[in-house]
Amino acid sequence: MSISRVKIAIVGSGPAGLSAAARAAELRIPHLLLEAEAHLSHTIYRYQKGKQVMAEPTVLPLRSVAPFAAGKRETVLQAWNDSAQRLGIQIRYGAAVIRIGATPDGFLLDTASGGTIAAERVVLAIGLQGNLRKLGCEGEDLELVQYQLDDPDAYRNEAIVIVGAGDAAIENALALADNNQVSIVNRRDEFDRAKKGNREAILQAIAEGHIRHLSNAAVSWLRQDAPGQGRLCLDTAEGKAEIVCNRVIARLGATPPRQFVESCGVQFPSRDANAVPAVSAHYESNVPGLYIIGALAGYPLIKQAMNQGYEVVEYIEGRSPEPADAPLLAAKFRAMPGYQSVDASIARIRERVPVLAPLTPLQLREFLLDSELRIMKPGEPIFRRNDYSDSFYSVLDGGVQIQIDENDPTQRVGLQAGQFFGEMSLISGRRRNASVLAGPAGAVLIETPRGSMNKLIASVAAVKRVLDETFLLRAIQAKLAPGLDAAELRELVASASLARYSAGEILFREGEPGDCLHLIRKGSVTVARELGGREAVLAYVPAGQYVGEMALLTELPRAATVKAAVATETIRLEASAFKALLTRHPALRQRINETMAQRLVANAATSSQGSGSIVQFLMNQGLGEATDVLLIDESLCVRCDHCEKACADTHGGVSRLDRETGPTYEQLHVPTSCRHCEHPHCMKDCPPDAIHRSPGGEVYITEACIGCGNCERNCPYGVIQMGVTSPEQPSLWRWLLLGGKEPGNTPMAVDKGAAKKAVKCDMCKDLGGGPACVRACPTGAAVRVSPEQFLQISQGAE
Amino acid sequence: MMATTPAADPVHQGFLRHANFRWAKLALLLCLLSLIAYVWHQPVDGANGGSWLGYALGGVGALLILCLLWLGVRKRRYRSRLGTVKGWTSAHVYLGLSLLLIVSLHCGFQFGLNVHTLAYALMVLVIASGIWGLIAYDRVPGRITQLHGGSDREAWIEEVFDLNEQAIWLANELSPEVHRRIVASAEKLQLGGSLREQLFGASRPSGGDGLRESLEQRIAELRGDASRPGALDPSKQNTVMFMAGQLQQTSGGEQEAARIQKLLKLLARRNELVVRINKDIALHARLQLWLLLHVPLSLALLAALIAHVFSVFFYW
Ligand SMILES: Cc1cc2nc3c(=O)[nH]c(=O)nc-3n(C[C@H](O)[C@H](O)[C@H](O)COP(=O)(O)OP(=O)(O)OC[C@H]3O[C@@H](n4cnc5c(N)ncnc54)[C@H](O)[C@@H]3O)c2cc1C
Ligand code: HEM
Ligand code: HEM
Ligand code: SF4
Ligand code: SF4
Repeated sequence: MSISRVKIAIVGSGPAGLSAAARAAELRIPHLLLEAEAHLSHTIYRYQKGKQVMAEPTVLPLRSVAPFAAGKRETVLQAWNDSAQRLGIQIRYGAAVIRIGATPDGFLLDTASGGTIAAERVVLAIGLQGNLRKLGCEGEDLELVQYQLDDPDAYRNEAIVIVGAGDAAIENALALADNNQVSIVNRRDEFDRAKKGNREAILQAIAEGHIRHLSNAAVSWLRQDAPGQGRLCLDTAEGKAEIVCNRVIARLGATPPRQFVESCGVQFPSRDANAVPAVSAHYESNVPGLYIIGALAGYPLIKQAMNQGYEVVEYIEGRSPEPADAPLLAAKFRAMPGYQSVDASIARIRERVPVLAPLTPLQLREFLLDSELRIMKPGEPIFRRNDYSDSFYSVLDGGVQIQIDENDPTQRVGLQAGQFFGEMSLISGRRRNASVLAGPAGAVLIETPRGSMNKLIASVAAVKRVLDETFLLRAIQAKLAPGLDAAELRELVASASLARYSAGEILFREGEPGDCLHLIRKGSVTVARELGGREAVLAYVPAGQYVGEMALLTELPRAATVKAAVATETIRLEASAFKALLTRHPALRQRINETMAQRLVANAATSSQGSGSIVQFLMNQGLGEATDVLLIDESLCVRCDHCEKACADTHGGVSRLDRETGPTYEQLHVPTSCRHCEHPHCMKDCPPDAIHRSPGGEVYITEACIGCGNCERNCPYGVIQMGVTSPEQPSLWRWLLLGGKEPGNTPMAVDKGAAKKAVKCDMCKDLGGGPACVRACPTGAAVRVSPEQFLQISQGAE
Repeated sequence: MMATTPAADPVHQGFLRHANFRWAKLALLLCLLSLIAYVWHQPVDGANGGSWLGYALGGVGALLILCLLWLGVRKRRYRSRLGTVKGWTSAHVYLGLSLLLIVSLHCGFQFGLNVHTLAYALMVLVIASGIWGLIAYDRVPGRITQLHGGSDREAWIEEVFDLNEQAIWLANELSPEVHRRIVASAEKLQLGGSLREQLFGASRPSGGDGLRESLEQRIAELRGDASRPGALDPSKQNTVMFMAGQLQQTSGGEQEAARIQKLLKLLARRNELVVRINKDIALHARLQLWLLLHVPLSLALLAALIAHVFSVFFYW
């Protein structure tokens, strides 16, 4: 095959790549768009049929030659296909690029099908979806085998073999089993990689004979005898086995694109799975001439990706258009004292705030775009102790004062321009532990939301290091040694190390010698003691507190066993350094003695109640990471479902709680309902950053939701659903007098084509007076509590 | 950090103990005051609804009844911030009980065959049904939890459908006759039904038509002609080789016997589940049954009360 030569090769025809190709075509630059699949924009192609594609962020203008507006998936794809044709974009389908090598005059790109393309510049826009893993044996590319399943109902009466044991494989097997004869090939004899629900469902289907389980088997080869007719050979411990089938569906997961990208010479700043490659302000990676745009560069929305596609071609052509986000940044900075231009403001921020200095220009821009500028008057409160906010503040001008002692507001510590605060709640996921006010000269602050901050921590190692070190010092100062400065704590800080525990792992055991103290950084632990052969939980200790001080003060062995309730990180402080500090500061010893005495009293009271097993049950439900959870005392619950009706009635007709499902232990029931986690899993991967925590602690979803379903998948507790809400609710009096639709019980007719968005509990934060479910329960069975109250609950429930 | 100080109000408390028996105390006080007034007040023509105290107590009683009726509305005003439904229920119960005394004092224990006494009688019935409700609320919830033992009705129903399907599939491989009877028994299954059936259980799931006996007999026959060669070591039955049809199958007779045995096990499990589901339905119905009296009677009471007040004002 002859080598085609172009100026710009664009890899990946998603919104980013397509938009780049469109601009190149418009400018008549020799280009080639390489797409692994047989159609444009595979990620969008794979959205659910009829999905409403949203054009977030709404304020960001679109700058692309290709069109894009919110609408149905089909409409969006059609518009792109049309414009590709109209503009004359050069596309090569079925061209998965497997290697990009630098040459003296550019790059050589190899595709899986054996083609080679020479290009001066390469734009990498392969998104984050990764490449589907193939069978890796003879016959992996036969017509008989497929690596995806879009519509299980399209197949009937076929003998289908599913390969794989993950969630996708199981879900496909179950969906196909209704109308087909399904076998599932599993390398092992268990399905322990899958979610609990899927695991149970597949085991049941196997036990009932709906699905044939071919366990401890690997595919050896696949041969096709006729269209839709083939044989699969399995390697098993007893030898080879051949089975006849009409179709093979292999669901082996996807390889994240990182490895491929690294093989092109691109560096990632850290090993963190969420890290994105660093690129220049012109989207150029560390490999000169290789540009990275779109989701792969850390921009998870369609409009952003399309804007970058346009801009990158401009940059390659040597032009410097003002980035599309410039007006947005200008609007933000205009309020800044002494504002001149966007670029000048960004330069000034970089210079004044050291923690932001290691960011690339593009990262800093993105960071500022997500952030808000806050201009505070002297003495104005920024947040208060016990607020549940989680944003991060950098001080640009002026200063702030932290009230370190809640009882004595005059005790304050000042922070100057260039410093930052708010990292405690960001890392621990807990409420603010001190109030912060603007200093006497006022303050200019940059407030950054949690999501952007976490992205930064994952991709810029230097930022992570500075935050960790500051957290360590400040946590020691706040919890252990108030009033001592960094110099006095140097020895203790030097002895500190970070320890990680998974849920259920033991920090230390009763009876062991005490050699350290743990300051909990993230997560939570339970303190338990053996009582009459049974483990009794004495206390729940959340992030921000410490455990293990008793053994250090008394020289006695550990008096209790401490176990991580959820995945937990602690700062481990060595006993020797700690004791040295106590000898030097008797007041400190006094203070810690007091805490210990209080805890001893509380423990004695708890152990006499003997209620630890309920707490253990609750911890096993993952409630250690909850901040506020709905529990139902089944001995009081009269199953009237008014809790659900109240939820539906106050939330557009869709109840966010399912009373009946969920585990029960000794009359205490944990319904399926949001727990408002300390570190909400649902927030992890939300492209428009639509999930937030309000100052009261409620985790809620804003209108910006694009309905991608990531949060639904990421929440381990299954409490998010994709639904359509309707603003109108049935009238109570009409129902009372005339019958018909009962409030809360009958969903209103909804527009079928309406966009589905993620809905979840918001704890009725906008209603005032507390959650409607609890307020509507006639018997007091339903309560919302925080883990700190579990011991009380378990004692109340006897 | 969040303090773990014990809250003034315990974290969780049933409606009867709501706010430390606030409404019980209030109702008691109301009763005491009425009683004192009643004893102290000695009208010439004996205690009756026409005296000033009679009017006062009647007014209080009527007001209370209206408040109690309002529970039905408040309960469904999910956005209302006027107290909690739990507080309302607590007040409802205690004030409702106090009515018994207050209204009796109002009428000076004078009853006759008239609309006034009709209202009174209805009130007593409503209160009696309320007490029945309280008893149900106290006893039934715990039994439901016990019955569920961690699972729930939906899962059971799903399992029943599944078992039915499997049974039919198994039966199909046995003989047309067995198949026909299994299908018939699946069709006859009844979950829930009319109120009477909900409460007292539907007709028992079938299986008593001799099917079981005949199947058991068949097993005995099959197993009777001894262990023929070719039976497969059961430990091998789950291997891939077996599944893939590459190992020799079990002998015909033993295979059929095993099938029948499996079928019987399925049916037993299914019938047990059906019983449990119907039990669950019955318990849930018992939590609601009393309301079927309580609410209509309270509406009748409202009508009678209006008639009563109307009659005393216009025909007195
Ligand atoms: C379910 C879901 C719903 C979403 N909804 C919305 C929404 O409503 N609004 C919104 O703004 N965003 C939404 N998003 C996010 C949006 O899809 C992405 O931000 C966007 O697709 C990223 O574009 P991209 O061009 O960077 O990458 P992608 O769109 O992922 O495109 C990458 C392309 O590269 C191809 N490719 C990959 N590897 C190779 C290779 N080696 N060689 C050749 N080609 C390759 C792929 O086949 C694919 O076509 C959603 C995401 C999901 C998963
Ligand atoms: C607005 C409130 C009320 C007023 C003004 C009122 C008024 C009266 C009056 C004037 C009488 C005397 C009639 C007579 O002696 O024949 C009376 C009697 C009576 N009232 Fe009421 N009443 C009220 C509420 C109630 C209520 C709530 C009940 C019970 C549900 C009730 C039950 C009776 C009874 C049983 C009698 C005795 C009838 C009799 O004497 O035969 N009343 N009421
Ligand atoms: C004359 C007096 C009473 C009247 C008019 C009255 C009326 C009502 C009404 C209208 C409801 C609402 C039912 C619904 O909408 O679901 C109700 C519920 C109830 N009543 Fe009464 N009632 C009276 C007395 C009592 C008494 C004395 C008791 C108890 C001892 C009682 C116990 C209850 C209970 C437990 C409920 C159910 C609450 C719930 O589950 O929401 N009632 N009553
Ligand atoms: S409102 Fe209360 S009593 Fe009714 S179902 Fe919900 S928890 Fe049970
Ligand atoms: S939705 Fe799920 S992950 Fe998010 S806060 Fe609620 S329980 Fe936690």
